[in-house]
Amino acid sequence: MSGPAHDSSRSTPAVVAAPEQSGSDDMSELTNASSSSAPERSGGDDLSEPAGEPAGPVPVDDQGWRRLSVRVVWLDLVRVVISLATGYLGIVVSDEPVWALVAGACGGLLTALLDLRRWQTTRYRITPERVEMRTGWLSRKHRTVSRDRIRSVDSSARLLQRLLGLRTVHIGSGETESSFKLDALDHRHAALVQRELMPGSSAAVLAPPDPASADPVPDPVPVARMAAETVIARFRRSWIPLNVVSVWAVFAIAGPLFALNWPLRALGVDLPELGRDLIGWDGRGPVANIALVLLIAYPLGVIATTVAFLLENGNFQLVRTGTAPDTALVTRRGLLTTRTVQRTDSRMRGIAVAEPLVWRWLRLARMKALSSGLGAAAGEATGGDILPRIRLAEAHDLAAEILPDGARPLEATLARHPRGALTRRLGMALYGPALVSGVMLVFTLTGVLPGLWWLLPLALIPVTLPLAVVAYRSLGHAVDGDYLVVRHGIGHRRTVALQRRAVIGWTVQQSIFQRWGGRMTVGVATAAGARHYESPDMSEEQALTFITKATPDLAAAFVLDDYAEKSGSPNRTATVSANHFR
Amino acid sequence: MARLRHHGRMEASLTLRPPRHRLDRRFITWRTLQAVLWSIGVLGTLGAIWGYAESARPYLGPVILAVAVTYAVNITVMPYARYRTHRWEATEDAVYALSGWLTREWKVVPISRIQSIDTEIGPLQRWLGLASITVTTASSEGKITIEGVDAKIAEETVDRLREVTAATPGDAT
Repeated sequence: MSGPAHDSSRSTPAVVAAPEQSGSDDMSELTNASSSSAPERSGGDDLSEPAGEPAGPVPVDDQGWRRLSVRVVWLDLVRVVISLATGYLGIVVSDEPVWALVAGACGGLLTALLDLRRWQTTRYRITPERVEMRTGWLSRKHRTVSRDRIRSVDSSARLLQRLLGLRTVHIGSGETESSFKLDALDHRHAALVQRELMPGSSAAVLAPPDPASADPVPDPVPVARMAAETVIARFRRSWIPLNVVSVWAVFAIAGPLFALNWPLRALGVDLPELGRDLIGWDGRGPVANIALVLLIAYPLGVIATTVAFLLENGNFQLVRTGTAPDTALVTRRGLLTTRTVQRTDSRMRGIAVAEPLVWRWLRLARMKALSSGLGAAAGEATGGDILPRIRLAEAHDLAAEILPDGARPLEATLARHPRGALTRRLGMALYGPALVSGVMLVFTLTGVLPGLWWLLPLALIPVTLPLAVVAYRSLGHAVDGDYLVVRHGIGHRRTVALQRRAVIGWTVQQSIFQRWGGRMTVGVATAAGARHYESPDMSEEQALTFITKATPDLAAAFVLDDYAEKSGSPNRTATVSANHFR
Repeated sequence: MARLRHHGRMEASLTLRPPRHRLDRRFITWRTLQAVLWSIGVLGTLGAIWGYAESARPYLGPVILAVAVTYAVNITVMPYARYRTHRWEATEDAVYALSGWLTREWKVVPISRIQSIDTEIGPLQRWLGLASITVTTASSEGKITIEGVDAKIAEETVDRLREVTAATPGDAT
């Protein structure tokens, strides 16, 4: 890790930057703010602690409030200039004013001016307990989110921002209504915010600086905290082919072309026509043409996905940081947009692996870490993959390091589900298409569907039968140490290892057919990951043994052990009924 | 369960104990009325379309037939079959319920993982003096809904559950 030392050396002044207490009462004036920016900018980080703004309703910065980078003002001024230029062009370029240009210019001007106002009114503060932001001019907003709720910190930049050394920082808590967008900060401040919000670094953040002590004292804590990082995985070049080869690579090139078609058509360029001429479409049959198009588009698609993959995952790093017990997993990735996602170990409840069917022969796997306590639709913060697509063996090794207890539940030997589960799947593969066919036949008889279309679903049976076998073979379950493991799925075979303490309820289902076959589907309710994991078609004995092994105390309340009762051992349910109130 | 393995008793030696309480008998009336109202609404709409739009008849014929059969079963058989199956209980340890008809579903949530407890009384239920109890957890699939309990019993149960959950530590995840 060369990063921490390097970063902390240049960020230290920012952490401790003493607020300028000087009574700059007129700082709220735009002109003053922008004119005074020049000397401050040479100092770089001084801007993080803005001068007070007693004229406005914002509290003075001895309470730790910081403001956005002053270069946002430049950005807005550039926009104003561009807007004015377009407007001017729109008026003089021809006899009649070009109204579209003028309207665009007015819109641009208004946006730029509103953005200036936003820059003036936005303040943010990071304290040991929470992150706060105040913003707004006509309607003022004050948003507060507790630090331990924060899951992701992204830093990104558009072209103009990048040229000006600005970064937009997005602080996500896993719930859309409580995220922050700081648009924009100096890139060093952005890096500082990303580091400050790291788990375990709350002590590194200064308490509201004491106005009396004008002398900035460097705080050694951040450096010490940052050093306690162990790297679990780093970007490997061998990951690139595993991630860019996809059945869908063609669409990576087809999508943008499709999107480009409409604006080009407005300019008089007919893209499909152009492409047709280029490859000589009319000279061949449709099959040869489609093959040719795929032959050209597929490599291009692969190149496009490679670039996208590198941009998104370049510099990938998965580390464990912080000091026990306050440790967390942190992923950093991205070349242009850097994403930092953190997963606190104390919320970690398990790990899941998905193996796509098409790439099963390559043993490719995607891995998710299951964390509890946040919204299910929380994006990458809780729902996303923790690693790019990698080989299964590598995934298993990394899983042992990702799980805080170092267990290897994903490799547990799984119990096979009963034969009836296979019969049921084969049956569904047969009667599913037959049922659709029958319904279509009825409609054919009433005259809605013409001809022999109703036979079409039956043609799918040669595909559905092998898939039924695949579905059966992926079924499995086990209780391994502190973890319960379930596996199922066709297109993606998903293996989920969940800590036993993460079980917050059981759902046992039995359809009529399952009752006849003595099988059950066991659902695990949990606060982590997808919130619900299933193991379909266990035998009744397997299901109840699984539940009893996973949660012995809870199972005692509703699973009867006939053997125990017959052999006269103390009946556990008797003690339960004593507590029973309804 | 090592003992089970040891004895090699693989025939069903473990069973799910049915929860203790049945629902109130008025549950049957309630679900029958509900099914009747729904069938009037759905079949009425479909019938109106059948009557007015002649061109839609080839599509609608089989659909109306299937819907009519479904509702006939729902009105005559389903309420009683459900009444016979549905069971529930609430103890100091867990809330446990069995529901379903064609597909049975056993659900259990330990008291320590309960996030909120609600009663809900719809217009029909109010008229019949019934209530539904809903126990929510951090997972929506873990939610237990017990429909058709006597309103007074539901009230007592929910009060008691609130006391017990308040006394149980933990953040329910």
